[in-house]
Amino acid sequence: MRNVAVIFGGRSAEHDVSIITAHIPVIETLLAGRKYDVVPIYISRAGVWYSDSAMNNLEYFKEDFEPKLRRLKPLQLSFEKGLEIIEPGIFGKKKKIDIVFPTMHGTYGEDGSLPGLLRMANVPFVGCDLSASAVAMDKAFTKQILSAEGILVVPFVWFTKSEWEADNKRILEQIARLKSPRFVKPVHLGSSIAITKVKSEAELVNAIEVALHYDDKALVEESVEDLIEVTLPIIGNNEPRAAEVEHALNKTEVFDFNEKYLSGGKKSVGGVNRAYSEIPANIGEEVTSKVKEMGKQVYRILGCTGIARVDFLIDGKTKKIFVNEVNTLPGSLYHHNWRKAGVSNMELIEELIRLAEERFASQKNTTFTFKSDILKKVGGPKIGA
Amino acid sequence: MSIQSFLSLYRPRYIRSLIYMLQTSEYDVGDFTAWYLRTRDFSSVERRRKIAWTPKATLFAVALWALVGIVAYILLTFLFLGGAFLVLLAPILLLLPFVLAVALAGFAILFAGVQSIVEQFYMRRAALRLSRMKAFKIAIAGSFGKTTMREILKAVLAESKRVAAPPHSYNTPLSISRFVGSLKGDEEVLIFELGEYYPGDVRKLCEMIKPDLGIVTGVNEAHLEKFGDLEETAETIFELADYLNDKPLYVNGESEMAWKHAPEHAIIYSCAGSGDWKAAHTKTDLSGLSFSFQREGEDIAVRSKLLGVHNVGPLSAAIHVAKRLGLPNTAIEAGLSKTKAFEHRMQARAEGGIVIIDDSYNGNPDGARAAITFLAGLSAKRRFYITPGFVEMGARSEVVHRELGRELALSGIEHIVLIQNSVTGHIESGLAGANYHGKILHFPDMPQALSALKHVTTPGDVVLIQNDWPDQYA
Repeated sequence: MRNVAVIFGGRSAEHDVSIITAHIPVIETLLAGRKYDVVPIYISRAGVWYSDSAMNNLEYFKEDFEPKLRRLKPLQLSFEKGLEIIEPGIFGKKKKIDIVFPTMHGTYGEDGSLPGLLRMANVPFVGCDLSASAVAMDKAFTKQILSAEGILVVPFVWFTKSEWEADNKRILEQIARLKSPRFVKPVHLGSSIAITKVKSEAELVNAIEVALHYDDKALVEESVEDLIEVTLPIIGNNEPRAAEVEHALNKTEVFDFNEKYLSGGKKSVGGVNRAYSEIPANIGEEVTSKVKEMGKQVYRILGCTGIARVDFLIDGKTKKIFVNEVNTLPGSLYHHNWRKAGVSNMELIEELIRLAEERFASQKNTTFTFKSDILKKVGGPKIGA
Repeated sequence: MSIQSFLSLYRPRYIRSLIYMLQTSEYDVGDFTAWYLRTRDFSSVERRRKIAWTPKATLFAVALWALVGIVAYILLTFLFLGGAFLVLLAPILLLLPFVLAVALAGFAILFAGVQSIVEQFYMRRAALRLSRMKAFKIAIAGSFGKTTMREILKAVLAESKRVAAPPHSYNTPLSISRFVGSLKGDEEVLIFELGEYYPGDVRKLCEMIKPDLGIVTGVNEAHLEKFGDLEETAETIFELADYLNDKPLYVNGESEMAWKHAPEHAIIYSCAGSGDWKAAHTKTDLSGLSFSFQREGEDIAVRSKLLGVHNVGPLSAAIHVAKRLGLPNTAIEAGLSKTKAFEHRMQARAEGGIVIIDDSYNGNPDGARAAITFLAGLSAKRRFYITPGFVEMGARSEVVHRELGRELALSGIEHIVLIQNSVTGHIESGLAGANYHGKILHFPDMPQALSALKHVTTPGDVVLIQNDWPDQYA
């Protein structure tokens, strides 16, 4: 049997969410399918890599697992022949990983760091590649690229922490040109962490301070009133395929972390998904098909592969559709939505693995190197003279 | 033998496992021995069920522990032998697990001997009691469908008669005798299932019950391993016809082996009707079954919550019997509307948008055919059929399982889930032979298949679970 390594945890605010996504549905489904040997790889909050077959069970992480980790030796990696993990011990048995299923949200995972590492290791991996991940991780980059391609986004202003500290007056002037109420967001964080809706100038400065406490770059954008917030999971490489348009039925002004992931005291039977949503969203056939079309366009523009989720803001009055952000690793892969769309967990996971292998094969056919005689010329009459 | 399986012989649970195996083999020493010889690891034999601590099982457990106690006592008394004792200890300890197994088999044989004497006594007492009662006695025999027939009759006749029938699947002399002892005496109709395990069984039960009417629900390969061939099964089941002589007998016309053996005066019932009654306008889906039951100038509207066209025959037979006993049509219709699925027999339930049809007590080819026909007739998003195959098919196993595969292939059911065992290959070759285009999934056992189910289904799917092998066949 081939080995699939599921990598989760990580140095991220979404460490715990990642553990859930890894198990529900990925590891559970892979184990049920019995086609692969599942190698769970857990990266601690401190960035240490561990692997133990007991980690295939979510129960392992439900209680305090630090003592269990202390008994384990950290994992070593080798890139000699693709990706190999070296089991700790005197004999250091090597295990070749045939395919990687990254399920690390946020920093060091979804932001492109892990895809970058896996590219270096020359191993096929599920989900978006480095560049799409890195762009989508920055809400400002995403908006800039999309609006350059003619996709509607909400007017916004972005700035770095050092710019804010140096000259916040200029930035506040720019922000003043945006219609109120506004949203303040750290650009890199997911799961609605440190996002604030502000209605007055007094709230604004405070919200920016909060956002910059978590991130070194922030953005302020106009809020959409009569808001219908919908999201669309998409899979595919060259031919993206959309699931159902999903409408989050939460009445509060914005999701905060607790609502999104620890919602309403409801035990998350379906992984890390919102407890209350309407699938498919009741927004009419015309808007639905527009959303799906835009979603696939966004997917192509950012160069997404494998899976991603595009979030939209719809103005209930004007029916204008804005793209809000792109998430390259939807929590629990949004498998609850895919199931509604007629794609079972097994089909979803198998398709994602197939897509990973397809992309890997096509990259193999791309030439990345060429021979040159540039080195010989170093020290010659022209170069380096 | 691995260390783990060797150690399993010395765990306290070993004794419990032995008794569980004997109990699950229905105290058949032959079955028990075969299972024992096949087993390597005794710590995990209880997978599907748990041991039921009946007085009988408890008695055996006490006996075995007593034996262990005696051995321990003898060993302790020899402790003073010192070195020589150690020489003695090793072979005794090595042999002990096997001695326990042999002793248990011995107890079982002894118990069976005593039981048969006790049985004779109880049977005679039950026969005497029954002969003094005025109740109309109905006997049901057949390889399959007895419980369904019994439940349908009970529901229909109970509308205007006092009806009693043994609970569960009580169909052995002893359990029927116990049931007879529990009767009040004022019952108007008694319904009995006659178990057929060995030739002569049905005759023996007939002599005790003295039925006034008989129903043969069908003959097929169920229990074939014990009978050897189908002809012998048929003869045993038709001991009921022999006993009834010219009293009314109903025979299922959809079972070829049954109607071939039916005497001339027998009333044949099927999905087309029974006797001079005809079934028409038959409709079935997940909500149940409906048809009109007609004869010159009479029309009974049948509405049942039972699933599948294969229930038309038994329902028809029950209506015919009810008419014979003088029930008015309105009472019959009311009774029919109360018929519904029984535990683990074509019992539908919804789970998170997925319909699961639990037919896990259906372990025979005719029942499977009916289940496949029903599932194939449903309009669902996708349909799943889970089966391990059938047990006790004897020499017919390969033919029967190839046929199952062929029928599944022709049904158009999208997903087949096979629980792996000795017959899986035959089902697969049947599927391949008929060019099955759907998806085949494999699981080592039913619990794993069921827990994987939520990962392979989506809302709108229908899953039918046909048969669950008891542990001794796994």
